[in-house]
Amino acid sequence: MNFNKKQSLVFSKKEAAFQRLGSSIGKGFLFLIASFSAVVVFLIFWFIVKDGIPFFVEKGFKEFFTGTNWYPAAEPGEFGALPIFVGTILVTLGAIIIAVPIGICAAVCLSDVLSFKIRQIAKPIVEMLAAVPSVAYGFFALVIFAPFLQKLGATSGTNVLNVSIILGIMALPTIVSVAEDALQAVGKDLREGSYALGATRAETLIKVVIPAAASGISAAVILGIMRAIGETMVVWMASGNAAQIPEPIYNVLQPVRTLTATIAGDMGEADHITGSMRYHVLFAMAASLLAISFLCNCISEWITTRKKY
Amino acid sequence: MQLKTRKFINKLFSGTGIASVVIMTAFLLILLTPIAFRGLGAIFFTGTIEHRMLNCKEFGHGNREKIEKEFAKAKAAREPVYLQFDSFKKEVKNFDPEKRRELKSQLKEIKEFLKELLGPFPDEPTPVLLRNQYGQTRWKNAKEKFHHILYSEEWDYSDPDKPGVKLFIPRKKYFAKTSFESFFPYLEKNIKEMLLPEFTCYWQFLTDKSKDAHFFGGIMPEILGTIYLALGAMIFAVPLGILAAIYLSEYAKPGKVISFLRICMGALAGVPSIVFGLFGLAFFINTIHVSDSKSVLAGSLTLALLILPTVIRSAEEAIKAVPNTYREASLGLGAGKWHSIWTVVLPNALPGILTGTIISLGRAAGETAPIIFTAAVSVGLPLKIWETLSQPTPALSWNIYNLCTEHEAVDEIRHVQYGMVFVLIAIVLLFNLSAIIARARILKKLKS
Repeated sequence: MNFNKKQSLVFSKKEAAFQRLGSSIGKGFLFLIASFSAVVVFLIFWFIVKDGIPFFVEKGFKEFFTGTNWYPAAEPGEFGALPIFVGTILVTLGAIIIAVPIGICAAVCLSDVLSFKIRQIAKPIVEMLAAVPSVAYGFFALVIFAPFLQKLGATSGTNVLNVSIILGIMALPTIVSVAEDALQAVGKDLREGSYALGATRAETLIKVVIPAAASGISAAVILGIMRAIGETMVVWMASGNAAQIPEPIYNVLQPVRTLTATIAGDMGEADHITGSMRYHVLFAMAASLLAISFLCNCISEWITTRKKY
Repeated sequence: MQLKTRKFINKLFSGTGIASVVIMTAFLLILLTPIAFRGLGAIFFTGTIEHRMLNCKEFGHGNREKIEKEFAKAKAAREPVYLQFDSFKKEVKNFDPEKRRELKSQLKEIKEFLKELLGPFPDEPTPVLLRNQYGQTRWKNAKEKFHHILYSEEWDYSDPDKPGVKLFIPRKKYFAKTSFESFFPYLEKNIKEMLLPEFTCYWQFLTDKSKDAHFFGGIMPEILGTIYLALGAMIFAVPLGILAAIYLSEYAKPGKVISFLRICMGALAGVPSIVFGLFGLAFFINTIHVSDSKSVLAGSLTLALLILPTVIRSAEEAIKAVPNTYREASLGLGAGKWHSIWTVVLPNALPGILTGTIISLGRAAGETAPIIFTAAVSVGLPLKIWETLSQPTPALSWNIYNLCTEHEAVDEIRHVQYGMVFVLIAIVLLFNLSAIIARARILKKLKS
């Protein structure tokens, strides 16, 4: 070490200024990187909406949201997307009906009923369900589950029922893990208070813990809905891809078509004619999807940040 | 309420909870068992001499001399079949017209199936398509074709109220009292000599290119493409994610800007994957032209955006889990803020960051929708590393979809489809398993 040079423990004014400048530049740089995801969100919104607007300008909103004839390849094309919206809603509804009861029961079980050791085994199972790629679920639905349904008597194995069950199972891990976190977040004092009053475990959970965790559980359900709406591969492979409203509407054995599957399926053909109505209508659909998911996001944000009990 | 009923309800409640966990476990097993079982069938199966011959000729696997000797043996066993077939073809003329027509159509069907079973007839020119140059390579499929030779398929519609019933009529019946009758017993007796089935371990399934649109060969280009895409996504997403996480957990002061950033991150996590695909097409390819058309680079960038929120969240959690005393100790020793983050906080948060990274690596490998328009093609060669900047690639996830919906012979290549799904799930679950184990170890360390 060089002892000849005079060193002071305190920075000189100049040095301190440099230090401060350096740290604030670094901080600014980090801030820029952190705000990158915000930039991306805006870019996504801008690019999807920009390419979707020409469709609405030319065709208006009425046909898209209320028409029932979906023939985008015809000349002139017909763009009635109501059956596709209905298909999306049906499939999501089915998935939620299957996933929510099982998911919440499983979350309660994982957080309060099972012993620590069994929980250590059960949690990786939830994680594995979440990790299986969606295309593998789609493959299962198309190659294994659809023939099975057909054997049971369905005319076509690729239908609302098939997709709903598989989507429900895909939404399960999301619902279970978020709901379990919400249940864990409810303090021990509430549980112990209830037990002290002589309540059984079932009574404690149903009357005290679940109401206290209600906001987190509803956020979990909304996240599950988002997962089901946004899923592409399973619905593309196993929903039958028929742009029709089931007749009657509760007939779960009929094929439907969803927004995501339409985008995935038609883009390959529409890509060659970039700029045509066929191209823009898919962006209009993507914009609707974005709007739905953004709405769900806002609702879940609002629910979780609301004042708790 | 009586105590008994209350106890009963309590038990019922626990029972429902446990039942739902059991349902989830059961489903995981139902999903994974057939895929694992039949997926392994792509590698371990009973292969015929045709499989060995094909592998030897197209890929150079195996001992050529030995295989050719075997093939000669099989050929010798096949010879009488062809001889009898040809001689009877001449004999057919002697029958009365109606019988002749029936026999001829039967012979035609038999010929088609024989070709599929044993490859082209010896006196025929070599077919153009590779799939027609060889017979059945897998004993299981060969048995199916063999069944078609022995039995003709007919539908019984005698009951008008019910759907038709499939009937199998022995073809022998059509040829009763002709010289061709002995053809069938000979086939049945000698089918094993003709195809020489033996247990095969075709591990090269993982390292071979595919031949003739996945009819033969392996899935190496797909595996490589998946690895490229996932690693590429990591290269872009991990540094960005970690730096963003450092800012959010160490520097950011709670306020309107930060909560706005967090809302944006939530929105990004909620964007459907197919919309990422559309965005990748519209932005990376059509607007800033990272490549002329689909490429691994564009796909990786799109996947990176998809996994960015996950990476940020897990890195942030890992950084927050580092005890504050570490930071205070470092600051107390005179280190600057950045210095202490770099030398104290990050190394301690590294295992946690790694866990999150591995899980998102698995997610990037498994995603399909974002790469449909940005990176994936159905058939392609394995890429060199510099070609990833401009070339599209086949990938496991996309090819699974493609092979089981758009391929011209979906049923014939089931084993390839199952093999691909198995490999993809194995890759993703291995990543996750290692992450789970790593996390368990960290938890143990922190506790002790």
